[in-house]
Amino acid sequence: MRPTDRNYLKSHEWCKIENGIATIGITDFAVSHLSDLVFLDLPQKGASVTVGEGFGEIESVKAVSSLYSPVSGEVLEANKDLPDNLEWLAQEPFGKAWMIKVKVTSKSPDLMTAAAYDAHCQAEG
Amino acid sequence: MSSPGRLRVLRHAPSPAAWNMGVDEALLELADAPTLRLYGWQPHAVSLGYFQRFADFADLPAGTTIVRRLTGGGAIHHGDELTFALALDADRLTGDIAASYRLLHDAVIAALAASGVASHLVAAGDGQTARPEQRWCFQTPGRDDIATAHGKLLGSAQRRVQTPRPRLLHHGSLVLTRPALTPFVAAVADSLPLDAAARARLADTVVTQLAAALGLQPIAGELTAAESDRAAALARQRYADPAFVQRR
Repeated sequence: MRPTDRNYLKSHEWCKIENGIATIGITDFAVSHLSDLVFLDLPQKGASVTVGEGFGEIESVKAVSSLYSPVSGEVLEANKDLPDNLEWLAQEPFGKAWMIKVKVTSKSPDLMTAAAYDAHCQAEG
Repeated sequence: MSSPGRLRVLRHAPSPAAWNMGVDEALLELADAPTLRLYGWQPHAVSLGYFQRFADFADLPAGTTIVRRLTGGGAIHHGDELTFALALDADRLTGDIAASYRLLHDAVIAALAASGVASHLVAAGDGQTARPEQRWCFQTPGRDDIATAHGKLLGSAQRRVQTPRPRLLHHGSLVLTRPALTPFVAAVADSLPLDAAARARLADTVVTQLAAALGLQPIAGELTAAESDRAAALARQRYADPAFVQRR
């Protein structure tokens, strides 16, 4: 079971909301399917993100994948050390490899519990 | 509506770089059926991987056409090559990116073998995944790349999106004749005299083998009006726009 203190999207982002601020990252399942990460682009502080739209992009094995936002709102902070330490994503995807913190104005209706997300991952293989 | 079991095959004459990239993104966005597009480049051009720095290519000869791909990886000098783009729902390929390359690369190796060109997958340990400091896609064969005794023969890269549904665009560049800017690459012409008949046979076999790998039946098709319009808009607004080409 993945951490139960947060919610998940089918596109493999996680989102932990505390006091109206969402911390967002990608899951261990996403990282295992990406492998060999080489580039990460995250938004700047002050940027707006929108539910279901891309907030960043990541490259692995010559494949670029978009990262999708579970919430709408303003980016308060991006993990500026992460692009230079992409190994953190494999080591601690739910911890120090967080990507952005967002002041939430709305959240996705498609957020899943950890149990539902675990089942989704099993189905996806 | 999708057409289960069919692979729509588009064959396009060598075309300008921005239009080529616009078409491929339009197919990623709009193609209902799994689509394989074969094309070339006129004029010849250099494509940068999506994350590459434009400034790292300041030494290219004046007048070189440069475009930025939506897909990752290193830069490619597109000269005389058989380029293909595959646009389809992601669940038709494994979610494991490296495994998806192996599946498609095995198909291209089979197509090359049918034309009398011996090639192989670079085994784990023989090479590393291309690293960002390598400017050129073909510089050093990496794990699961297709190579011959002369070097790397096929460049591959992908783009994966999740909305409105999981989709992927796979680019393949099969070198026919060694291009001027990247003389270290392997080329089909190293082992196969490339007359018109041989080129046509190779293209047909690549289609057949890729379709078989996907479990689909190849059917010749055309761009839809919507795809064509979207491709033209993307070519103009994105791929020919210096702000996109030089975004990094």
